[in-house]
Amino acid sequence: MNDSSTKTYKIPWPLKLRELGAVVGTMAFFVFFSIISEQFLSIANLGATFTMAAELGLVTTGITMLMISGEFDLSVGSVFAVVPMVMAIMINHGANEILALIVAMLVGIGTGLVNALVTLKTFIPSFITTLGMKMFWRGILLAVTGGFPIILSHKSKVLNALGGPLGGGLRYSAVWFIVIAFIFWFILERTAYGNWTFATGGNLGAARALGIPTNRVKVINFVISSMLAGFAGLTTFGRFKIVDPTLGQELELEAIAAAVIGGALLTGGYGSILGSFIGAVMIGMVRSGLVLAGAPGYWYRAFIGVILIVAAIINTRIRKKVAG
Amino acid sequence: MRKLLVLLAMVALVTLTFGTYTFYVVSHGGPADPFWGVVMKGMKDAAEKYNVEAVYLGPEKFSIKEFIDLLESAIARKPDGLVVTITNPVALDEPLRKAIKMGIPVVAINVPDSRPADEAIPYLCYVGMDEYLAGVYAARRMLQEFTPRRAVIAIHEPGHAGLEARAKGIMDTLKPKGIPVEKLDITTDPTKALTLMKSYLIKHPDTDAIFTLGPLGAHPAIQLVEEEGLVGKVKIGAIDLTTKITDAIKKGEVLFTVDQQQYLQGYLPVVFLYLYNEYGLIPHEKVLTGPSIVDKSNVDIVEKTVQMGYR
Repeated sequence: MNDSSTKTYKIPWPLKLRELGAVVGTMAFFVFFSIISEQFLSIANLGATFTMAAELGLVTTGITMLMISGEFDLSVGSVFAVVPMVMAIMINHGANEILALIVAMLVGIGTGLVNALVTLKTFIPSFITTLGMKMFWRGILLAVTGGFPIILSHKSKVLNALGGPLGGGLRYSAVWFIVIAFIFWFILERTAYGNWTFATGGNLGAARALGIPTNRVKVINFVISSMLAGFAGLTTFGRFKIVDPTLGQELELEAIAAAVIGGALLTGGYGSILGSFIGAVMIGMVRSGLVLAGAPGYWYRAFIGVILIVAAIINTRIRKKVAG
Repeated sequence: MRKLLVLLAMVALVTLTFGTYTFYVVSHGGPADPFWGVVMKGMKDAAEKYNVEAVYLGPEKFSIKEFIDLLESAIARKPDGLVVTITNPVALDEPLRKAIKMGIPVVAINVPDSRPADEAIPYLCYVGMDEYLAGVYAARRMLQEFTPRRAVIAIHEPGHAGLEARAKGIMDTLKPKGIPVEKLDITTDPTKALTLMKSYLIKHPDTDAIFTLGPLGAHPAIQLVEEEGLVGKVKIGAIDLTTKITDAIKKGEVLFTVDQQQYLQGYLPVVFLYLYNEYGLIPHEKVLTGPSIVDKSNVDIVEKTVQMGYR
């Protein structure tokens, strides 16, 4: 809530204290990897790294909106796979590409709606609702594919616009990431809806007393989270033209990690799209940076674990300073 | 009318001789899994040829508990033979020893009991692939083509016993030749897998061989050489079979893959158990159905037999 009150002042520079931890961390890694590996600053590497970050970043953007409004979404990893699966199956069966895209996205949106309605109507925690949804979709994926990948049988222009190459190691997914992150940054920081989102997650009772339609805010954010997860899955599908039934496994945890590195609170009311953007870039950068630094192949996961905890500690300190 | 009588007589004859023996195949893989569909076909074909009854049991979704339940119910019917995947030797130890004590002949398929001989379940023999050997054969096939300056093994699930055994087989074969080789954790995500392999190639530009241990490594590796125009410059050696991999072999993007011919894992145990029941004959230790190399020389036949359900 303390945040929504500062929102009425005009702040010219988008960067705030909230993102400080993520920015400093990312800069530190950037400098570190640039020194340790000559190839780190190559366009090929930076492009590839940002493309990898884009997939995670799209999912993180949605999950950040939802986390700020005080709810969780563990089903994003499964939605990330189900949406492209629907599209792949439809195109393989001769459906129109645009129609397939719309139906696939509707499955994503529908999942968000169900997550929201079940959570808000039955009062069970979204952690449980979306955990169940994650298992449900993963099971459907396995049952439909029989454990084998679905391969797109013919070329698709629509898919190229989603995840095709753009030059310099970059792909359309990177453009989508920047555009979508900007849109949601704007919504969160510059509109009344953004204020409502912060208020709903920060202090639900107070938000209701102020007449904010908190349930509607949550429903919309559940839908945003599912929709962006499905869209991110489509950009990956656009590149590989194949949907493995394991696609997107553990992505939900990584997205939450990126959001937390970016300053989001698990309890809601606090977070930033810019921070999440940087968090996703940082995770991608550390991943490829470690390979470029010649670190043994099995180190990456341990490293991210340490970063996550350190980032959370720094973010908590910053928040306390701001509040106190 | 006469035709009908002949038909009836034939049916009677078939029912009389049908099911001289009853065998149960209990596996950890569900019948919906295409891999196990091929095993099932092998089992059915052999049962028909040898005029025995063979029943396939497997949980719909991977579950050790349900698997054990199915095994217990198979044992309770006192079959003339039992074919089991030793997915979890500790959990299977008790029911299988009980079955063997009851005099039921047991053949292991797909996954052997990897424990030392004096601890292992005393089944008659194992029919399947040796994961370590799959790695060894993959490395040998690569060496047959050329001597890589540097090789990388893309592992999508570090710590997975089967994949680690495959990786070890590759390393144990390449290292004595003085070829630098290391494992790279590429995760199961295709975008990350591709980027990490690309990063590895940027870091070590002398890398000219990528080994993948399953489709989750092979598919992004194929995409990588396509996107970066590295076809022929970086050679891919795969393990396991998918249509994307066989297509890539035809296009020259993948050098070879390793197949375990699981049809034989359904077919041979039925034959062995028939021979054992009839004459007391049985092969010993391991009957290896793989690794079998699929490359340009045989990819067309393999592809055809995939469509026919033999692979």
